[in-house]
Amino acid sequence: MAGDSVKARNGTMVAYTGQMNFKKMSGGGDGLRGMVTRRLTGEQMEVMEVKGQGTCYFADRATEVNLVRLNGETLYVESDNLLCTEATLHTGTSFTGLNGMASGNGLFTTKVEGHGWAALTSKGPAIILRVSQGMPLRVDPGAYVAHTGNLNRNLKSGAGWTTLIGEGGGEAMQVEFSGEGLVYVQPSEKMTFGGDV
Amino acid sequence: MSYPPQQPPYGQQPYPPQGQPYPPQGQPYPPQGQPYPPQGQQQYQQAYQQTQAAMQMPPQGQFGAPLPQAAGGAGPTVHDVNSLPVNDNVNPYAFSVDLNGSYYLQKGKMIAYYGEIRFSGIGRGVIDQMLERNFNSPLHASDWVVAEGRGKLLLADRAFDLNSYDLENGNLTVRSGNLLAFEPTLQLKQSIIPGFLTLIGTGKFVAASNGPVHFVEPPIRVDPQALVGWADCPAPCHHYDHSYMHGLIGGLRHLTGLGGASGEEHQFEFIGAGQVLLQSTETLMAERSVGQVHAEAGVPGSGVPHQPGGHGGQQLPNVNVPGLGNVNLGDLGRRFGF
Repeated sequence: MAGDSVKARNGTMVAYTGQMNFKKMSGGGDGLRGMVTRRLTGEQMEVMEVKGQGTCYFADRATEVNLVRLNGETLYVESDNLLCTEATLHTGTSFTGLNGMASGNGLFTTKVEGHGWAALTSKGPAIILRVSQGMPLRVDPGAYVAHTGNLNRNLKSGAGWTTLIGEGGGEAMQVEFSGEGLVYVQPSEKMTFGGDV
Repeated sequence: MSYPPQQPPYGQQPYPPQGQPYPPQGQPYPPQGQPYPPQGQQQYQQAYQQTQAAMQMPPQGQFGAPLPQAAGGAGPTVHDVNSLPVNDNVNPYAFSVDLNGSYYLQKGKMIAYYGEIRFSGIGRGVIDQMLERNFNSPLHASDWVVAEGRGKLLLADRAFDLNSYDLENGNLTVRSGNLLAFEPTLQLKQSIIPGFLTLIGTGKFVAASNGPVHFVEPPIRVDPQALVGWADCPAPCHHYDHSYMHGLIGGLRHLTGLGGASGEEHQFEFIGAGQVLLQSTETLMAERSVGQVHAEAGVPGSGVPHQPGGHGGQQLPNVNVPGLGNVNLGDLGRRFGF
């Protein structure tokens, strides 16, 4: 860093060299409107602005850190998984609809837009899977981390009457991505409602 | 029996680790003074020279630190249905199955898939017939799921290390919590050792471990918590450090901790020819129920459906001294020579 700034989740700085200032940004650093939106949507994120000269290291509970370069695209990421972004990126919330709720990820997700680097955390290194026309991808909601590109999310339910009597396939909830884009999955599953059925 | 210990523990085709956008182990942070997207690619790649030697190398520069120009704004390793490995690891923690037919997996271990795949619980319809072929005991079958169809299936388990193994007309016994998935050409049997499952036949299976797996050959004594499984050799026996635990002093030491107990007085001992699989931590994976055995005389573990901790039968048989009650005195009595 040379005088520029980085937005990072609160408490994720582990070490730095040089001169750094840490400033808490209220409401996810999206301004007043963003703050209100975040409050309302529950997709809350404690964010700080780090500014200064030198090298600053971020980490979170020894999870893997994955760098994503954005060139004007939009990255949709679970707020739990967003570690830090360059100041050139804007964050916001986006509505995922009932899909998110049913899979236990909440109704809203965090949107990152602009040009620059974003760092995502994942339990185990994230695997990047390409989705293209005619090649949809289905993901366990607990393993989903983020996605970019022009993708449709659909909830696919494999639950049938056997699920009710406890003989389900264990993968009753899947999120289907179709369109063009990339999906980041982690080799681990968060505890979600969907992962448990 | 093909149990190639010389095979790299993550399968025949090592995943390309240099493709990961995170800095590899051994060099946890980019060298000082460099901006975060590390330019020190050369060093990173050197760290993996050994692993790269055996596999087909992608052109240099395609992998490494993510390049700002990367298409799609993503990190360098982007997998799609064709580039995902066939029945091999994607990275140490995820395994890709090229499914054409059926595969058994533990419930809830699928993270993503391409193609048309159905997941059905075991124990109904046509699957019932497969069940008969592949599971000896229907009692633990509800923990397993059949994936049927065509496509690429990604498996992972809480970011534990995954390894695939090939059995050729062999047998392998593995801790129940560690077994993740197996081909239907293999038969899954409940071992008479509580908490363990035995796979018999020819085929591939995937097992999870906490840290990479090491293969060692008997004779060897291993720590109970580090044991993942064993192949071909006779089932292990308990071994106690006799001199340390023997007699009055040993008993006092054991009970009070005075004089120090190293915590390593008890081991599993393996003899004969075969392979023993060890994990590199002593953190056990949560045990899966393997099903209850019929309460019957002569059947080990019967009447004890599930022993937590995984080292069933660790206690010495209690021989109670008449009149002294049942408070573990049999053990004590032996120790102190009552």
